[in-house]
Amino acid sequence: MIEVENLTKHFGTHLAVDHVSFTAQPGEIVGLLGPNGAGKTTTMRMLTGFMPPSDGTARVAGFDVLADSLAVRQSVGYLPEHVPVYPDMTVYGYISFWARLRGVRNVRQHVDAALERVQLTDRRKMLVRHLSKGLTQRLGLAQALVHDPPVIILDEPTIGIDPQQVIEVRDTIRQLGENHTVLFSTHILSEAEQVCDRVVIIQQGRVVAQGAPATLRQQLQSGAHLYVEVRGANEAKIREILNPLRDIQAIEPQGNGFSLRVKPGKDLRAAVAERVMAAGVSLLELRPVAMTLEDIFLDIIKRN
Amino acid sequence: MGGILTVFRREVGQYFASPVAYLIAFALLLITGLLFNTDLTYSMRVKPAEAALIPGFLSFALVFFAPLLTMRLLAEEKREGTLELLLTAPVPDSSIVFGKFLGAWFYYSLLLVLTFIYQFILLAIAQPDIGHAISAYLGIWLYGGASLAVGMLFSGLTENQIVAAFLGMTALMFLWLGDLAGQIVANLDLAYVLRQLSLQGHFSTSFAVGLLRAEDAAYFVGIIAVMLFITIRVVESHRWR
Ligand SMILES: Nc1ncnc2c1ncn2[C@@H]1O[C@H](COP(=O)(O)OP(=O)(O)OP(=O)(O)O)[C@@H](O)[C@H]1O
Ligand SMILES: [Mg+2]
Repeated sequence: MIEVENLTKHFGTHLAVDHVSFTAQPGEIVGLLGPNGAGKTTTMRMLTGFMPPSDGTARVAGFDVLADSLAVRQSVGYLPEHVPVYPDMTVYGYISFWARLRGVRNVRQHVDAALERVQLTDRRKMLVRHLSKGLTQRLGLAQALVHDPPVIILDEPTIGIDPQQVIEVRDTIRQLGENHTVLFSTHILSEAEQVCDRVVIIQQGRVVAQGAPATLRQQLQSGAHLYVEVRGANEAKIREILNPLRDIQAIEPQGNGFSLRVKPGKDLRAAVAERVMAAGVSLLELRPVAMTLEDIFLDIIKRN
Repeated sequence: MGGILTVFRREVGQYFASPVAYLIAFALLLITGLLFNTDLTYSMRVKPAEAALIPGFLSFALVFFAPLLTMRLLAEEKREGTLELLLTAPVPDSSIVFGKFLGAWFYYSLLLVLTFIYQFILLAIAQPDIGHAISAYLGIWLYGGASLAVGMLFSGLTENQIVAAFLGMTALMFLWLGDLAGQIVANLDLAYVLRQLSLQGHFSTSFAVGLLRAEDAAYFVGIIAVMLFITIRVVESHRWR
């Protein structure tokens, strides 16, 4: 449904999106994860036909974003980062405007269905300016799905709303995933983990990791960190003891002990225990640290 | 086509939803009403009723009045971020610009129709020169379209409505002054060119005196076309920023 290949965008000399490639299968929910300024919005703007890419290709619903821009735009529902509203219109008027502009035939029916979906039916006559932030966000969602597009692109849809609304919006996204391909961006890791089938982590315009949340965690984490606590050795001593173990990438003090970053895929527990004991230092604790995606995310960002 | 109609309908709806538009209509009717009244009492004794009275007044008033009607059109979309959604809708950029322009022109036309009432009053109490009036109204209708197109262009250049209105008024003022300048410059050729470029130059000595000339109509239509063309380019340029 979405095929992105080496998508690149520069603003002047600044490279905002740098050879990004990923795909989203029909019915998949893909999360675009990255810190501020990573290039999430810029990537989405190219996929929605708002901005032409500087380089690379992107196909949405089978159409090329450059060659078939209108067809792409017809196939996409888009919610920008700040919900764009017409304050003087009613909820119903606002949604039906977008429905008409996107060539919907049964306007009334589609608008009713969209409002129902985001639970705004009882507020249809209200002026948009009087909606709370959370309701405005839902209004934005309704606008994005009113023409029943195969692809829905949401830019940070849960930002700035209260926890209850966040849960509702996430539920709506999950439901949308049943009949649509959804691409949404966030910088909250747990959110990506909860909602997405697949996560694409981007940083400074580059994809640094992608995959299902579970595999991603496995890949990056397996034995990646060890916690070791000893008696009778300071940091310098520990470094000296463990230095010969080439698979240890970093040693950092953590709590009463040390956190060791180990090359992925290696289990160094035995080796560490042996070396510590051989040096005559008492080993108090040695365990692998289960990393949350949050840690992995920060780790990846630090490493790049 | 559908896109133009949808945008057009929303714009017209917005005029009726906003108090500013009613205020403008109120002010216009108040001023023209006073003018008509004065002219009428004067005409009782010394001269025939002025057929181009309201259009003549508008040809100056539009300098201020057109930017007020158009300042919102694109500036607001830019500020609220709705332009991004419009530009990701499956319609060509030109539909958005055409729809908005036609919406403004339609609203202006409605206001113009409101002032027909003075013509009906004249018809009821005298024998006014109807041909002259029709010519003047046709002229001011085109003149208005051109002024609105200029105003809309400036609305596309900024996010700030006040700035848009101010720039639009300044530009229209220059286009209006061209006529006066054309009357005082000594060099005849230069004077001719200046007049030909100004909005007034194609109205005050033709439409306003009951003279229908294709070149004047072509001038106004040309201004509209050029302004809309530039506005479309301006809107398009948002894709590159
Ligand atoms: N129109 C623009 N002109 C110039 N630079 C831009 C433009 N839009 C974005 N950038 C730059 O490109 C980079 C990526 O921006 P982008 O908005 O895509 O990031 P983001 O991942 O959406 O961040 P955030 O989480 O803050 O929304 C940033 O460094 C930003 O300053
Ligand atoms: Mg962003």
